[in-house]
Amino acid sequence: MSSSSAAAGTSNGGSVDAGGAARRNTRMPKYSKFTQQELPACKPILTPKWVVSVFFIVGVIFVPIGVVSLLAARDVVEIIDRYDEACVPSNMTENKLAYIQNSTISKNCTRTLRITKEMKQPIFVYYELDNFYQNHRRYVKSRNDAQLRDAKKPNQTSACEPERYTADGKPIVPCGLIAWSLFNDTYSFTRGNENLTVDKKDISWKSDREHKFGKDVYPSNFQNGSLIGGAKLNSSIPVHESYSALSYVVAYACRRESIVHVTSLSEQEDLIVWMRTAALPTFRKLYGRINIDLKQNDTITVNLLNNYNTYSFGGKKKLVLSTATWLGGKNDFLGYAYLIVGGLCIFLSFAFTLLYFIKPRLVFILISAAITMISVGLTGNWGTTTTCPGTDTLEAAKAPLGTP
Amino acid sequence: MKARMKDMMRVATARLGGEQQAGASSSSGYVRRDSTAVRTTRLGGDSLRRQPQPQAPTVRTVYCNDRDANAPVGYKGNSVSTTKYNVLTFLPKGLFEQFRRVANLYFLMISILSTTPISPVHPVTNVVPLSLVLLVSLIKEAFEDWKRFQNDMSINNAKVDILQDRDWESTPWKRLQVGDIVRIKKDGYFPADLLFLSSTNPDGVCYIETANLDGETNLKIRKALEKTWDYVLPEKVSEFKGEVQCEQPNNSLYTFTGNLIVDKQTIPLSPNQLLLRGCSLRNTEYIVGVVIFTGHETKVMMNSMNVPSKRSTLEKKLDKLILALFATLFMMCVIGAIGSGVFINQKYFYLGLRGHVEDQFNPKNRFVVTILTMFTLITLYSTIIPISLYVSIEMIKFIQCTQFINNDINMYHAESNTPALARTSNLNEELGQVEYIFSDKTGTLTRNLMEFFKCSIGGEMYGTGITEIEKGGAERAGIKIDNDEGKRSAVAIHEKGFNFDDARLMRGAWRNEPNPEACKEFFRCLAICHTVLPEGEETPEKISYQAASPDEAALVAAAKNFGFFFYRGALALGPRPKLLEGVYTIIETNPCKGYMRETEHLLLRVIWEQSKTSVIPIITPDRIPVSSVAFDKTPHDAGAIEVALTILRTPTTVVVRESHVERMGSIQDVSYEILNVLEFNSTRKRQSVVCRFPNGRLVLYCKGADNVVFERLADGNHDMKKISREHLEQFGSAGLRTLCLAYRDLNREQYESWNEKFVQAKSSLRDRDKKLDEVAELIEKDLILIGCTAIEDKLQEGVPACIETLSAAGIKIWVLTGDKMETAINIAYACSLVNNDTKQFIISSETDTIREAEDKGDPIEIARVIKDTVKQSLKNFHEEALRSLSRMPERKLALIIDGRCLMYALDPTLRVDLLGLSLSCHSVVCCRVSPLQKAQVASLVKKGARKITLSIGDGANDVSMIQAAHVGIGISGQEGMQAVMASDFAIAQFRFLTDLLLVHGRWSYLRLCKVITYFFYKNLTFTLTQFWFTFQTGFSGQRFYDDWFQSLYNVIFTALPVIIVGLFDKDVTASLSKRYPQLYKEGIRNSFFKWRVIAVWGFFAFYQSIVFYYFTAAASRHGHGSSGKILGLWDVSTMAFSCVVVTVNLRLLMACNSITRWHYISVAGSIVAWFVFIFIYSAIMTSFDRQENVYFVIYVLMSTFFFYLTILLVPVIALFGDFLYLSIQRWLYPYDYQVIQEMHRDDPHEYSMVQLPETSHLSPEEQRSYAISMLPRENSKHTGFAFDSPGYESFFASQQGVGVPHKPWDVARRASMKQRQQPQRPARS
Repeated sequence: MSSSSAAAGTSNGGSVDAGGAARRNTRMPKYSKFTQQELPACKPILTPKWVVSVFFIVGVIFVPIGVVSLLAARDVVEIIDRYDEACVPSNMTENKLAYIQNSTISKNCTRTLRITKEMKQPIFVYYELDNFYQNHRRYVKSRNDAQLRDAKKPNQTSACEPERYTADGKPIVPCGLIAWSLFNDTYSFTRGNENLTVDKKDISWKSDREHKFGKDVYPSNFQNGSLIGGAKLNSSIPVHESYSALSYVVAYACRRESIVHVTSLSEQEDLIVWMRTAALPTFRKLYGRINIDLKQNDTITVNLLNNYNTYSFGGKKKLVLSTATWLGGKNDFLGYAYLIVGGLCIFLSFAFTLLYFIKPRLVFILISAAITMISVGLTGNWGTTTTCPGTDTLEAAKAPLGTP
Repeated sequence: MKARMKDMMRVATARLGGEQQAGASSSSGYVRRDSTAVRTTRLGGDSLRRQPQPQAPTVRTVYCNDRDANAPVGYKGNSVSTTKYNVLTFLPKGLFEQFRRVANLYFLMISILSTTPISPVHPVTNVVPLSLVLLVSLIKEAFEDWKRFQNDMSINNAKVDILQDRDWESTPWKRLQVGDIVRIKKDGYFPADLLFLSSTNPDGVCYIETANLDGETNLKIRKALEKTWDYVLPEKVSEFKGEVQCEQPNNSLYTFTGNLIVDKQTIPLSPNQLLLRGCSLRNTEYIVGVVIFTGHETKVMMNSMNVPSKRSTLEKKLDKLILALFATLFMMCVIGAIGSGVFINQKYFYLGLRGHVEDQFNPKNRFVVTILTMFTLITLYSTIIPISLYVSIEMIKFIQCTQFINNDINMYHAESNTPALARTSNLNEELGQVEYIFSDKTGTLTRNLMEFFKCSIGGEMYGTGITEIEKGGAERAGIKIDNDEGKRSAVAIHEKGFNFDDARLMRGAWRNEPNPEACKEFFRCLAICHTVLPEGEETPEKISYQAASPDEAALVAAAKNFGFFFYRGALALGPRPKLLEGVYTIIETNPCKGYMRETEHLLLRVIWEQSKTSVIPIITPDRIPVSSVAFDKTPHDAGAIEVALTILRTPTTVVVRESHVERMGSIQDVSYEILNVLEFNSTRKRQSVVCRFPNGRLVLYCKGADNVVFERLADGNHDMKKISREHLEQFGSAGLRTLCLAYRDLNREQYESWNEKFVQAKSSLRDRDKKLDEVAELIEKDLILIGCTAIEDKLQEGVPACIETLSAAGIKIWVLTGDKMETAINIAYACSLVNNDTKQFIISSETDTIREAEDKGDPIEIARVIKDTVKQSLKNFHEEALRSLSRMPERKLALIIDGRCLMYALDPTLRVDLLGLSLSCHSVVCCRVSPLQKAQVASLVKKGARKITLSIGDGANDVSMIQAAHVGIGISGQEGMQAVMASDFAIAQFRFLTDLLLVHGRWSYLRLCKVITYFFYKNLTFTLTQFWFTFQTGFSGQRFYDDWFQSLYNVIFTALPVIIVGLFDKDVTASLSKRYPQLYKEGIRNSFFKWRVIAVWGFFAFYQSIVFYYFTAAASRHGHGSSGKILGLWDVSTMAFSCVVVTVNLRLLMACNSITRWHYISVAGSIVAWFVFIFIYSAIMTSFDRQENVYFVIYVLMSTFFFYLTILLVPVIALFGDFLYLSIQRWLYPYDYQVIQEMHRDDPHEYSMVQLPETSHLSPEEQRSYAISMLPRENSKHTGFAFDSPGYESFFASQQGVGVPHKPWDVARRASMKQRQQPQRPARS
């Protein structure tokens, strides 16, 4: 913008002080650029030229970014499969809640996915929930970070209501609604006969794993209540201590979970992922990674356990397989936003240019004329002896402004 | 030095002529009567309240010099405290003061709410900003109070001599008690209100300076009771046992009644014997006094009530905005609360809503859920109220005042060495919106530099000069008048106060005029009838006159130039002093200069040999007529002294050196014995003296306003009266100020019988002033008109240009003056307020119908006639004005109304018409208005028309007007300080109004509008993002941001840039602001703080908040980055918050008209501060608090490209709308200032230095005016006719409830400053 710096005035500062000092006891204010409000300043004026240039520059910067982002998003292959409806047995579609709450009914479900486009590894497995208010105030605060982090503080269960103590008053670790409602659907994938291993390591942020969940904190009394919210965690007793191989095997067999060697909270990555609460009621969470490339037209069979109750509040459940680029998953929102804004800016810059040439500030001149009229109205009647200094200049200024 | 001292004494003694002095102390009676008369016709809804009258005479009895006797009464000590707080009360009281602000109280409540479980936020969110705001405010308070405390301490610990066991003992002020006898030395300050006992000066007088009370630096005389004159030495004083019975402490500075009972004799006391705390002693070795009122009971302290401070209109409108915000807040909360009631449901099993659930989330009781959520949301959305707004505005305004206005070189007046002064920082932006200016005339538009210009004697007009106004008129009429400087006759004299050119009167030529007797009387009247004090050497060239009004000085100077040189006043009336016992030694004699032949004088100093101290001047009689004393230089001639002292007591005389009286060229000194002085005041509008000629002739000389004098003239000589009246009108139309002179010969019996009544009236205790007035009426009648005088009142520099500029700025200027109509109209012409094309509506009481009614003399009838006339003319003129406006809108209209008609026009029934008429006029001139009427007119427009008003004046008579208007401006740099003390801003010259309004006011308005709207915008934007989030959290009131983000948003991340903008933003340069006064109209129209402007900001806040929320929230569904990991709530919110901080700060830059490096530093600093904060904050983890939420969040974010792309995209999209709006607005609908900006886009920077006049290179004209300004100053302002006394007016004002604010700390501060300066003060003796 039209910035004019002021080197001219700087040398003047000193002379007055000297002059002022000559006269004694003067109360004349000392000159400084600050007190005289004459600090050098640039004066940005949004003239049409500047407006057009700014729009143009923004457009020129944004369009390529948009294109690049969009291309990145386009590279992502994403396969979404909503299974909450489909996995309900056909005889129970009327009463899904009864289905999900009846532990005797098998929750096994098989889905087949067709790969529409080649997917390079790593392929990320997400589950997506809908209408699930992980950001509800009662939910968000229902945890205790100290307890999660520090083995010495299992009793710190404040804010964890109502999942604070077991019925017999023992503190629950991890306490609170978030942990209690841990997502417990499980997925396993096969391609033909090939078992596609789901890598569940490193699905959580490292900072969470290492600092927010203690390495020596073990679950205890978890999901022992009458009401089971979600997934159970492995038993609280560490392996290397007096833990019998048998019970371990039983636990493994019962849960049919993926392999668990050590059971401290810091390695309960599903829990860690779950407990980084989502911002919106529709969210995805990372379930694991498949480190095998999938070809186009491959058919993937998903064996899933449809355990988690979203039927009571009408939430959807989706399984998402997605690759990722440097920008992340299939999110063309950013690309489109950049493209649209950039495009709009370029369009506006052209539009303004056009307007500028077709109607060279016609309105502007009308306004100047109006001001002049007003000033004439005020000062015009003062007779020959008086003229307003502003009036003439404004009128005079009209002519040069007429041409661009 | 000696000579100087002698002069000073003579000055002082002359002043005492006739015992009354200064008028200030004795006119309260008139005031009361006068004000009552006016009050009956006061505006109905007027807010000018009445203050209580001085208290009923409950008596306070003080036993002098007897602590034990006074002890039972328990008078308060003399220690004063002007601090608001002490160590203990600071916190509670200071906090209480702070919480009287609604915003602070609101945040206190929110903070309390946030400690309860229903709050979604940690208390820190609200407590931190509140405490920071409170801390800043409290530090400011503490700092100011500490300064006050230090002042108090230095004053309380100042030393004073107190009588202890027959000797003086130095004691701190605070130890003084009522009844103590103290000694005040020269230049010392009176520590309490003292009863003046005795002084080292002859006749028991002393001189005091009251600069601390009223700013006047001229000396005033106080006179001790004759009975107590002797009590000078400690031994003697310790014998003094008197009993003082006086009124209870009150705040009336100019009244005091009481009695001194000494030796079983009761002597009445008057204000003359009272020395007020805060005044200082001058030209007197020392005085002795008894403490009457101490500490907070002194009159000056009693006066120090706090004047309620004015609030600016903008701030009042801001209150409305805040209310609107509260309404918005309430609506948002209601929506959210209802939503929460609907949402809550057991089906969300993961919320654990079965079994026992706390009330807030209990689905079984949705109503309670709704109510509690309401509170939750109020806490959550509390940021919508900008907590730091008020403190920011305060800081901005404070700096604007102290740094910009007070330091503006353009408003510095070199001649009087006075910079501008902002006395309050509340009203800066009000200066940018003024639509009506009420200006005093004298001293404000004009210089208060009076020059004797013309006169009319015995029906003959003298003086050939042409006034500026006449010149202007002639030029308007097309006649060219040459500069007459060269054409003046040889006898023309131009000196201070005298600018007269007519050979017929000069150098004794008046003897050849048709009416030499009248001329003689005329000159004598000028030389005798006044209250002027001569100062300096007694030669016509060197003498200078000290007068209560410059008119008087001009008149006496005129007499001098006509050959009637008044050079000496006289000693006061009174019996001779008693000689003290002891041996006197004459150590010095000093015959005075040669030309005094008949009455050669001696200065006598006496030593009392027994005194332990070396030289004590007991009495210094300064004159002993040689002819009466056989004077030789023998030292031990006590007899001579006795004689000297006997003769010393001559009656009051005025000595005039008369030339050309007996014959041409003769010179003789004539002593006139002044028998009585009938003082001037604004009710009487006249002044008289009764004097005895050396030949025994008794004459009353009177001078006064024409109408008053004409009323009292003897019958006959109609021709002369008629001619004089015509002359008066001519003088008036030439813009001159007139006075009529008259005299009356008295015979002895007549005088004796009257004098008896006079003495009686004078010694009465009750209503003394009123009685004196009545007595004066008895003798001021049957006068014989001598003639009249015309004095020119010079316009101030640059006034017409300034007024023109202000008019172009859309400001309407009303002149309110005490002058007569003709003078006022002509000043209006001279100032370009009115010109020949202007249609004038004149409402005058000087019409034939009214005269007729007056002649009949029935006051009720007169009132009825005037009222009818006024009513009729108001109606007619109003209709005519409307017609004229519709037909010829460009034609100027002016209303001219005189005070008497105004009194009726202000009647509630006629006010509407008056207002309608005056608002349709472009300028209004009110003449002959009283101070109260000035205030009434100001408040008529302020309240009736709801326009922003400004009053400007220089004198005490403007105080009420200054306080009644929105903005009060005092003219400083002159001696009178009362207007300045009452004002909000003080400037040295009227023309500085241009700078003050068009530059500072306009900028201030612009800046504050920007600051306020920006605050509104940034808080609304921030809060709305929260609001959108609420919709997606099941209306649970979950916070979107971390507690610390929210708490620091207002006080750290967005605090500084807006203050910088409030200080530095500048649309066009100062010189352009003045060059295009039309720009000011944007302020009058309030273009920048309209609801429309706010709505635009509100709209973009809405738009941006949606962008911030949804664009960042969209991020949460997908993995970001090649790791495929998902961002959580706090990642999203941190990202959103970053976008908000960046955008909001950048938006401010877009709103700036000029960007200095401080803008860059503060904006970049704020953004950087946020990132530094989040880097540190998210890297640490402590065991308390809930910051695990954001642990490592920023690092997680920064590991994704998504974050960078978002932080580039979101601010751009958010600002896209604003940018588009701003460009289209500027392109298609530009503000005036934007037009000017573009026209002068390529101008080089202008610096005031370039325009600044080089002070060392003055033009001859400027040098002359500088020299004039350096001359000894007249000390007082006047209203109306010729003279007036400020004390009177301020009393008047205080009776009307608009007391002059004497702030005790002001007094104290100045006192302490002076004390520190004292060592540098050159010793005068």
